[in-house]
Amino acid sequence: MLILCRKINESIVIDGTITVKVLRIDGDQVRLGIQAPSDVPVHRHEVYEEIQRNNREAATHVRPDVPRLSPLLRPASTPIPASPPKPTTQTTEKPTPTSAAPANPASAAAPVTAAPCAI
Amino acid sequence: MSTLATIECERLNASAETAVNPAVLNLPLGLLGFEAVKHYIVLQNPDEQPFMWLQMTEAPKQAFLIIPPSAVVPDYRPELGDDDVEFLRLESPNDAVIVNIVTLRTGSSSTVNLRGPIVFNRHTRIGKQVIPMNASRFALQHPLPALA
Repeated sequence: MLILCRKINESIVIDGTITVKVLRIDGDQVRLGIQAPSDVPVHRHEVYEEIQRNNREAATHVRPDVPRLSPLLRPASTPIPASPPKPTTQTTEKPTPTSAAPANPASAAAPVTAAPCAI
Repeated sequence: MSTLATIECERLNASAETAVNPAVLNLPLGLLGFEAVKHYIVLQNPDEQPFMWLQMTEAPKQAFLIIPPSAVVPDYRPELGDDDVEFLRLESPNDAVIVNIVTLRTGSSSTVNLRGPIVFNRHTRIGKQVIPMNASRFALQHPLPALA
């Protein structure tokens, strides 16, 4: 592992295309800003690892019978929203979660055409 | 009226004859842990709805059982970061189709990964497994509400 020491506002560059900058240090927490091409995924390590592990457990060569789902939890009317594009305010900082905005109620009859729902 | 899962299946696939002529889905970054595999097809069996199979079209030819989250939880709102929205070229929430990977286990302990959904652009059929900004709100192994 390459070990470098950086102060606030100092950066490192990886592969000429990825920049990691120390934005803030708060006690034992470091706020990092990462600039990378959009085809380079960047994740918190522990979340990446657990999803990777989960994927590996889920992958199968055979297709067994699928479970029957409880019908109470199959609301046909609820669309699957994804958050609308957020305005970029800082280019050097990974976006932090915004405060919750009220979600628009789902339209009962329309499949996946409900108004954008933001969290 | 079709269930949402059926509507999504129809939109994901180019043809109504899904088992005979499935559309290829492109995951340029693969799935986490399977980054080398970029191409999948979605296989649907009407008897298995709302489940679908996400089948690799290249080695190691494994498959994932997937499900639309609306069949599992009532109000699933993963918040996508700007980079994911940009990568998938989502211009509106309607462009996105979300499915989640199911882990089948013996007994009734099968679970759904709500923390790392797979999001597709329904027009381009390009997808990505994303870790939403609010990932910590969702379970990695959410119990599947299966009948005993």
